[in-house]
Amino acid sequence: MAQLVKKDDDRDEEAEYSPFVGIEKGAVLQEARVFNDPQLDPRRCSQVITKLLYLLNQGDSFTKFEATDVFFAVTKLFQSKDIGLRRMVYLMIKELSPCADEVIIVTSCLMKDMNSKTDMYRANAIRVLCRIIDGTLLTQIERYLKQAIVDKNPVVASAALVSGIHLLQTNPEIVKRWSNEVQEAVQSRAALVQFHALALLHKIRQNDRLAVSKLVTSLTRGTVRSPLAQCLLIRYTSQVIRESSNSNQTGDRPFYDYLEGCLRHKAEMVIFEAARAITELNGVSSRELTPAITVLQLFLSSSKPVLRFAAVRTLNKVAMTRPLAVTNCNIDMESLIADQNRSIATLAITTLLKTGNESSVDRLMKQITNFMSDIADEFKIVVVEAIRSLCLKFPLKYRSLMNFLSNILREEGGFEYKKAIVDSIVILIRDIPDAKESGLLHLCEFIEDCEFTYLSTQILHFLGNEGPKTSDPSKYIRYIYNRVILENATVRASAVCTLAKFGAMVDSLKPRIFVLLRRCLYDSDDEVRDRATLYLNTLGGDGAVVETDKDVKQFLFGSLDIPLVNLETSLKNYEPSEEPFDINSVPKEVRSQPLAEKKAAGKKPSGLGAPPAAPASTVDTYEKLLSSIPEFSSFGKLFKSSAPVELTEAETEYAVNVVKHIFDGHVVFQYNCTNTIPEQLLEDVSVIVDASEAEEFSEVAVKPLRSLPYDSPGQTFVAFEKPEGVTAVGKFLNVLRFIVKEVDPSSGEAEDGGVEDEYQLEDLEVVAADYILKVGVSNFRNAWESMDPDTERVDEYGLGPRESLAEAVGVVINLLGLQPCEGTEVVPNNARSHTCLLSGVYIGNVKVLVRLSFGIDSRKEVAMKLAVRSDDISVSDAIHEIVASG
Amino acid sequence: MLLAVLIANPEGNILVERFNGVPAEERLHWRSFLVKLGADNLKGIKNEELLVACHKSVYIVYTVLGDVSIYLVGKDNYDELALSEAIFVITSALKDVCGKPPTERLFLDKYGKICLCFDEIVWKGLLENTDKDRIKRLIRLKPPTEF
Repeated sequence: MAQLVKKDDDRDEEAEYSPFVGIEKGAVLQEARVFNDPQLDPRRCSQVITKLLYLLNQGDSFTKFEATDVFFAVTKLFQSKDIGLRRMVYLMIKELSPCADEVIIVTSCLMKDMNSKTDMYRANAIRVLCRIIDGTLLTQIERYLKQAIVDKNPVVASAALVSGIHLLQTNPEIVKRWSNEVQEAVQSRAALVQFHALALLHKIRQNDRLAVSKLVTSLTRGTVRSPLAQCLLIRYTSQVIRESSNSNQTGDRPFYDYLEGCLRHKAEMVIFEAARAITELNGVSSRELTPAITVLQLFLSSSKPVLRFAAVRTLNKVAMTRPLAVTNCNIDMESLIADQNRSIATLAITTLLKTGNESSVDRLMKQITNFMSDIADEFKIVVVEAIRSLCLKFPLKYRSLMNFLSNILREEGGFEYKKAIVDSIVILIRDIPDAKESGLLHLCEFIEDCEFTYLSTQILHFLGNEGPKTSDPSKYIRYIYNRVILENATVRASAVCTLAKFGAMVDSLKPRIFVLLRRCLYDSDDEVRDRATLYLNTLGGDGAVVETDKDVKQFLFGSLDIPLVNLETSLKNYEPSEEPFDINSVPKEVRSQPLAEKKAAGKKPSGLGAPPAAPASTVDTYEKLLSSIPEFSSFGKLFKSSAPVELTEAETEYAVNVVKHIFDGHVVFQYNCTNTIPEQLLEDVSVIVDASEAEEFSEVAVKPLRSLPYDSPGQTFVAFEKPEGVTAVGKFLNVLRFIVKEVDPSSGEAEDGGVEDEYQLEDLEVVAADYILKVGVSNFRNAWESMDPDTERVDEYGLGPRESLAEAVGVVINLLGLQPCEGTEVVPNNARSHTCLLSGVYIGNVKVLVRLSFGIDSRKEVAMKLAVRSDDISVSDAIHEIVASG
Repeated sequence: MLLAVLIANPEGNILVERFNGVPAEERLHWRSFLVKLGADNLKGIKNEELLVACHKSVYIVYTVLGDVSIYLVGKDNYDELALSEAIFVITSALKDVCGKPPTERLFLDKYGKICLCFDEIVWKGLLENTDKDRIKRLIRLKPPTEF
């Protein structure tokens, strides 16, 4: 006991006498005056420098004035012959990084030291000088630096070489002149000198492929002493291999033997570097890959965590493209799930999730369950995402994977983690119909005890859309109404909407929903009461005249077809008067449409964040827009609207893009125009279309745009008739025609009259893919087998020489405009053959499935087998025609 | 490039912090990120046992030595293996200067020498010296023995 007390005393004392207790910048700067003493006390000066370093290392910074002051004082210390103090002075000057006009004070001292007989003075002076000088001074000392590079003392040589690496960024021309000396240093017997020299030489020559190739050739034959240098050499070798494989098609891979030889090096660092280089080779064959995977497998059971980490990280990368190559390591990776280092464990799990097969899923899930409880959220998110893709890969295993997700949903976790789980469940519900009911119940249980308002509202919204379509919608009502009783106002309001949706969709529940909604009329929150009143009124719960069923559903489930920005502007402009606000007066044009649509197209599909209704709502918007134009109202149902095609370069006077709307017997071009010149007003804007290269099309209607003011997008339309049921294709030449009026910038008023003008636009093509809708299927094999085999049409095609298999696959996907399924649009880097699955709907609502098998030979000739099944045999033929003529 | 060398005490206070090629506005973020990483994972870790993490193309190797935790951040050539080499040099040099795995007090007592060691080991993001005996001589301006 007594001993314990004594220890505490010790600790107190230690804290009390810490050398930097109560250190304060002002006081230290005062102390720095000792540097000016005529009789220097080296010990005291070193102490003050240490304090200054401590301040700088704590993130304290000196003002310009303070730094200059200290710098000048420090330069006085060159008078002292004390070696320890001199070493500190070198460091201090580097830390202060004086500005150009101050440097002059120390250059003479440093240049003297750089030529000193004491090697260590030389090395340090070089390092300091190179840190603080500019180009002009560098030319003055260049001669000494060149000598230093080949100095016998390795410390001096390294100092000059490392300085060279830094100086190359600021004064490349000067440093490039040293390449002879650096070349000599590469042959040095000192390991570190060789390492630094190799790094510098490569930097000097990095843009000269031939020189790098020569360097690599000579060094791979010679001896490299330091493992660090060997690693650099391996990296440079991979670079040479990468570049040569692009130009050299002979088939044999240069330097592979060298890399393979490095797998037997004594330093682990070198072995690993070589193994990684091999796994990253373009088009690596299984034979080449095997030795690398073998050493990585050995590293998996190394006692050094860094090696385990490096190995599993590399294997994880390999598993993305070549899962089969890694399966041999599965047992070793399974033991890493329990690794104390969580980064290693997470990498092991995500690799296993990629390499595992259907039969190992259950065992793997059991192991992961134990692991999840003690890792941080960021790792958990990675695991959840891996499980989501695994479930989409093996839809039959949804039960155990969904159970796993629901279990972890009940445990503690932050918002991002919970959101990742909820998103995953939502995606699984959407893609695997069998998983829907259990998934929805898991989500319901989650909102019973969910602390995140955002997630609760999102789930309630999703539940409102999906719940009424299940076999027993009534079981969800309890969960939803509990929200009205227990939650905050935002969630309560959401729950009211969801209740209303159930009421609208399920007639048998309607009377009970009314009871619940009526209770909400007494809620303490305005919004909740308002919504309850609104929905009771809409659904007829208050005895009022009920709107038609279709209207109610449209109101509850339909999307708001007015851009919110427009609605906001209109509401702001509305002045309270006798006349009520008319929502029909809000313009429906989407401002700066191209940008918004581009963004939407680039968005990654996620769970709740971006519901798949988004693209549908664009189609909805188009459909409404077109049907509101009398000329087009007789065209029937809109089949497809293309993504906007730009017809002008970026940043031109007038920005125009076009959306192709396909109907059964018509095509409508919607030209979205923007006038980017503030001093102009365009009127009577239309596009003159020359369809002479599109013989099957005949123009039937034009809808000009009355006026196009600056920066306020507008649309003009041109409609064509085409034979029904025919996938007519052709090219259209476009000219924008308008009347331009000058606008007075001060008043904003346009002049009278105006001049007629034209503006040439790019050509536009209607292609076969325009007649095909991208519609995915969740299980391609089931869908394929459920289609009549008699509708199958198979043929083979030669696609000629191609850059790569991936390019060929991309071209065919684009040509057909079908939806790639199950991630088959991704071609592994090194693949020689590939199967790609596509699905979609052909015009006339005919379902089409396509199975493409590609092969590439050594001359890069690509051959393709195309098998099509569809609801209509003529469509199968049509798909073949598209490919044959494309 | 070796982006950062950071040494902190058990409470997460910074003792030494050297950044290379990291913009000033990102440093604070890195500092708190590393300290949190250490607080989450370093408890109960043996001296010099390495922990590894990576984020996109940046690697982090960290460990404890006595009372101080040491963090290295690198990218490109300075991957997890190169960083483990560098952290090994740093821990050996620290033990050499302090005579044992340092307490915070001992570390601060030897602060000047430790700064000199760092100056010899890493220079503006590049690994310069890797041998502790050589470093020990260099900080006293003595030439390396093998020369």
